[in-house]
Amino acid sequence: MALEVSYDVIQVTLLSLYVSGCATILGSAIGIPLGALIGLKEFGGKGLLKTITYTMYGFPPVVAGLAIYYLFSRAGPFGSFGILFTPTAMILAETLLVIPLTTGITITSVAEVDRSIKETVKSLGTTPRQSVLTVMREAWVGLIMAAMIGFGRCIAEVGAAYMVGGNIQGETRVLTTAIMLETRMGRFDYAIGLGIVLISVAMAVFFFLRLLQEKELL
Amino acid sequence: MAVIAVAVVALLAVSAAAAFVLTKEEPNRLRMATTTSTQDSGLLDYILPTFETEYNCKISVIAVGSGLALEMGKRGDVDVLLVHSPSAEQTFVSGGYGTNRTQVMYNWFVIVGPDRDPAGTKDATSAKDAFQRIHDNGTAGHAVFVSRADGSGTHAKELGIWSSLGYDNTTVAAFGTSWYKQAGQGMGAVLDMCEDLNAYTLSDDATYYSRVDVALIPHLNITKQGDSALKNQYSVILVNSTMWPHINKTLAKDFLDWISSKAGQDVIKTYVKYGHQLFVPNAPGFTSTTAITGFVDTRLFEDVTAGTSEVPEAMLKAKDTRADVPRGGAIDGA
Repeated sequence: MALEVSYDVIQVTLLSLYVSGCATILGSAIGIPLGALIGLKEFGGKGLLKTITYTMYGFPPVVAGLAIYYLFSRAGPFGSFGILFTPTAMILAETLLVIPLTTGITITSVAEVDRSIKETVKSLGTTPRQSVLTVMREAWVGLIMAAMIGFGRCIAEVGAAYMVGGNIQGETRVLTTAIMLETRMGRFDYAIGLGIVLISVAMAVFFFLRLLQEKELL
Repeated sequence: MAVIAVAVVALLAVSAAAAFVLTKEEPNRLRMATTTSTQDSGLLDYILPTFETEYNCKISVIAVGSGLALEMGKRGDVDVLLVHSPSAEQTFVSGGYGTNRTQVMYNWFVIVGPDRDPAGTKDATSAKDAFQRIHDNGTAGHAVFVSRADGSGTHAKELGIWSSLGYDNTTVAAFGTSWYKQAGQGMGAVLDMCEDLNAYTLSDDATYYSRVDVALIPHLNITKQGDSALKNQYSVILVNSTMWPHINKTLAKDFLDWISSKAGQDVIKTYVKYGHQLFVPNAPGFTSTTAITGFVDTRLFEDVTAGTSEVPEAMLKAKDTRADVPRGGAIDGA
């Protein structure tokens, strides 16, 4: 199906990948260490913190968008950066949505590995630092999974992307906001077409990552 | 803990760097917040390239509800507004958030309803009368009305009509849910709901025609149109550049001057879609309208200056000579 739209679908698709990719990397860079810390360390209130993290899986994207909007609006505390309605603002909002996912999945992965190898590691008499690294290596597949789920949430997300990006043609229009625009205009066939593009792109990314994993490059 | 600190610092560094790269000086860019109807109808795609070519600039269009568009202007996030919510616009300007409010064009709202028209709105003498009939039949269980209920310009217009019948906003919000559905959705979605619910609604004609064009709402007809109370006035407002010095006030003013000049008004007039001229230019000095070739809409020959009485004509017509003088004071009434 040919998509006769006034904007460049390729460029829109690339921006979707760029925004989701950056947010996934940032969200993983924060969430994975945070999750490892919560998962491996024993401290008071750990259960509560885990519950909060899991609850945040359901953090409403529009609220994340609104938070970033308020912070980076000209009337907000970081208004002078002037990043509202740019891909950067979208990345920050999406990062907020990724962090709970990467944190939570990391907690689960490292906790499982920790239980199974704790005794072995202990019996070998390794230092705490070495044992943490061992656990992280063993939990690697889970950590990649965390990042992939984060990416999935970003690329399919519309509320935050619209709120802080503004769906500006040629600047901040991504696949999801383009789908929303087409739906609003009653052009359901175009909306579905773009939806197929989105699913295909996400599928390609996941296949590529799985390939890397199978070849043990990741 | 050190890892987290590093990660946070890295995040801040990356975003600061990105912010720097992405916000390099772009003197020829205009940010315009507008309503979804101007974008969804295709009008902006039709008229803006002319301006962009002539002024060698790029207009970034952010199409949201009128309420949010005004909020973006208030917060200094855009340079110029193209909106259709007269009383909210008045509040905006009198609060000192914007200047040079100028009417530039209008289109029409229509009352649409199901084929069999259970409320008899086709025989209504006015839009007001049609609403009264929907209300009476609704409370009696014979008709359903779907309201946008989303703070949009269209919602404001609907509330204005109810208010002219003596139903204030609180009363309307408390209308029985059995017949008065408050959707909180965009125009297209509300029309789709009406199709399914055999309901009435107030719609801008462009969105209605676009939905008819793709055969999504085969059972909805226009049951009342052309009443001056259904005129949908769009105005351009410049965001206060004294309050927000970063604003591209030169280009914003250029845009206002262009769209209210003969050149801009002519482009608006020639936009035809779904077999209809969707917008009628009426900037000060350009209120006389002529139907364009191929389509004669008798509504165009009505007295377009009659207005909706919500806005004093003098206020719209007089180009504000006090531009850039802050009125009101700082944001949020501080």
